[in-house]
Amino acid sequence: AGQAGAGAGSLCLQGGASCPSMDEEQARELLGFLRLDTRPDLKGQATGYVLGLTGSAEGRTLLAGRPDFLEALLLLTGDHSLAVVKDSYHSLINLSVAVATHRVLAKELPVLLHRLLDPGYAFADQVCTLLSNLSREEGTCCQVFQAMQEEGLGLARVVEVFCTEGYNKKAALHYLGPLLSNLTQLPETREFLLDRSRCVVQRLLPYTQYEASAVRRGGVIGTLRNCCFEYKYHEWLLGPEVDLLPFLLLPLAGPEEFPEAEMERLPVDLQYLPPDKQREKDPDIRKMLLEAVMLLTATKAGRQLVKEKGTYLVVRELHRWETEPDVQAACKKLIQVLIGDEPEPGMENLLEVKIPEDVEERLQHLDREEERQQGQQETQK
Amino acid sequence: MEEAAGQAEEAGLASLLDRSQPQRYTGGFNPESWEQEFDKIPMFMKKSPAEIDPEQNPDLACLQSIIFDEDRSPEEQANTYKNEGNEYFKEKNYKKAVISYTEGLKKKCSDQDLNAVLYTNRAAAQFYLGNYRSALSDVSTARKIRPNHLKAIIRGALCHLELKNFPEAMAWCEEGLRIDSKEKKLVETRAKADRLKRAEQRDARKAKLKEKNEQSQKEVLLTAIKERNIKLFLEAFKEEDEISDGLAEMSLNGLSSDSTMGTKVYLDDNGNLNWPVLFLYPEYGQTDFISAFHEDSRFIDHIQVMFAELPPWDSERKYHPSNLELYFEDEAREEMFQLNPENTLRQVLQHQRYFVKAGTPAFLVLVKHSPFSKNYFFGKKVHRLK
Repeated sequence: AGQAGAGAGSLCLQGGASCPSMDEEQARELLGFLRLDTRPDLKGQATGYVLGLTGSAEGRTLLAGRPDFLEALLLLTGDHSLAVVKDSYHSLINLSVAVATHRVLAKELPVLLHRLLDPGYAFADQVCTLLSNLSREEGTCCQVFQAMQEEGLGLARVVEVFCTEGYNKKAALHYLGPLLSNLTQLPETREFLLDRSRCVVQRLLPYTQYEASAVRRGGVIGTLRNCCFEYKYHEWLLGPEVDLLPFLLLPLAGPEEFPEAEMERLPVDLQYLPPDKQREKDPDIRKMLLEAVMLLTATKAGRQLVKEKGTYLVVRELHRWETEPDVQAACKKLIQVLIGDEPEPGMENLLEVKIPEDVEERLQHLDREEERQQGQQETQK
Repeated sequence: MEEAAGQAEEAGLASLLDRSQPQRYTGGFNPESWEQEFDKIPMFMKKSPAEIDPEQNPDLACLQSIIFDEDRSPEEQANTYKNEGNEYFKEKNYKKAVISYTEGLKKKCSDQDLNAVLYTNRAAAQFYLGNYRSALSDVSTARKIRPNHLKAIIRGALCHLELKNFPEAMAWCEEGLRIDSKEKKLVETRAKADRLKRAEQRDARKAKLKEKNEQSQKEVLLTAIKERNIKLFLEAFKEEDEISDGLAEMSLNGLSSDSTMGTKVYLDDNGNLNWPVLFLYPEYGQTDFISAFHEDSRFIDHIQVMFAELPPWDSERKYHPSNLELYFEDEAREEMFQLNPENTLRQVLQHQRYFVKAGTPAFLVLVKHSPFSKNYFFGKKVHRLK
């Protein structure tokens, strides 16, 4: 079934030619220009050059292993020149994809977090993207979460900011989505989001339809999918207090008209959709939605609820419309669960079933085969 | 000398005692009505009387005047009014509660916490009276004074819920949850408002779809009629004018709006029109109504069924199917056209001079060669069948 996973990291690929190798003297010279007190025009050139370096894999490897460069860049995010600040942030964003940089960058977390949630900070989007990259790796993610606690900037605030349109006039903060999604790798964050006595996860639900940003939308859906690993919460998630299922199905539903009897069986949000209703355009997001629904069918009670709410109708129509092979496969798997027989006693919670070792091996072998075949199909295209 | 004074005292006391006869204590309760009297004593009252009549209840009236003494500070007075209002509230006497709270607010005391509570409590009383807008106004004022007053926020959310302002209800809940993220009533109310909002959106979509379907059905019907070159009669329009679809559609509704028949032409599953048709028998002022005359059925078939038995009003027993002639009138030109009973309704409606009036084709039935029919034709141009 897999683990609650982190979203993809982001790169800001910009800038000029790459210089794959640099000797120690050249490095020190360059570093010398990356100081706050350097003459502005030289400083600007230096940061521009560094950004160019981070545009290539070799350049990134080169710099990722150099704490002195990382620290210099971090300092330069406090510079007066907007161009220098921007280039510094973009360089750091590119470099933060490498886990090796996290030890140094994590030291700056308190400052970064405060800047993130400062409604007047002009570079909040850059900070957000950087944090989103940092939180991808589980170890650093823990550190991010810890720093949040220590700075008194808990999840509640992050969710609040996420849900406040126009919180920062200069930053859209869409990358809070992936940040949240990455944070839900940690069971503590999932538990906070799923706190029954609060209203947290409910506030995220409308964003499954947020058209203006696929990053934000994907981040929310990743978050919800990760939360679906907590099967103890399934009945509550599927019940009236949260009512998660319609929000997962709505992006997958099209403008199809069903006969009235079938229509009235669907959740309210999926009834009588207008003729111009469009499905989620991003296939990766469609796949995540299906995975989330699939997770909700792990327990017997959850399966029952998912079946009752007419999920089959939506997924059937999606399967007819779908062209991406791996999304089609996900549809088929889900349909099989929805119309298949109930598993034998003892197998009712699919997340808890112990797979015998030899079966596990065979399944992994089959997975690899499938991936290989898909790889071949892609290269043949 | 002392002894004399003492004896005089004794004598005085004795005579005093002699004079005061053992009298019955009259200030006690009457054994029959002791309970009512008990209830009148302020200390033993279980609930406050609706009106305080100084004659009946001098003690209570006296107490009241002490409590509401103008010499006390505005804060003290306002607080007393608040308590009074709360008592009325507990008794579900919401109208009185509103009055008490209002009196408290009139004092304009400087204790803003107290004022916020007065507004909030008055809002609650107004809520139970169903005055949701007044209640909202009060909690808004309460929040201006004390922005974080949670009870005011909760009440406001509930008001919006009753007024079906679901997005506002949710927004208020979220504001309140920022202050206390676990406030149970706010969490519940937000969930409820969200559900109701989404149900309302579904209802709107359903209604829109229904309207769309009805509209397209209307268009299909009008197209069918046009295709057959059947003309509809519309007042105030010359026959040659183009008639808009909307007006045409309205004319088809003609009789159905207030008639007992309430039928309209419709297109059946086989794509055939079925019309409501009126047969008029001017000789006796009678009518027959066929609610769904299939356009491809013939007049003669209907006539034979309708006059299989002679109608009761046919006093001369002459309305046999074979004796009958069918006509339609072109009133504009005062002309009458005889129609062939072997024809179908469709064929007749397609007659160049036929106009469907009020969505209901009407035809006249006369007896061949009858004196009435001769009279009827007088002054009109009659086009007979060859």
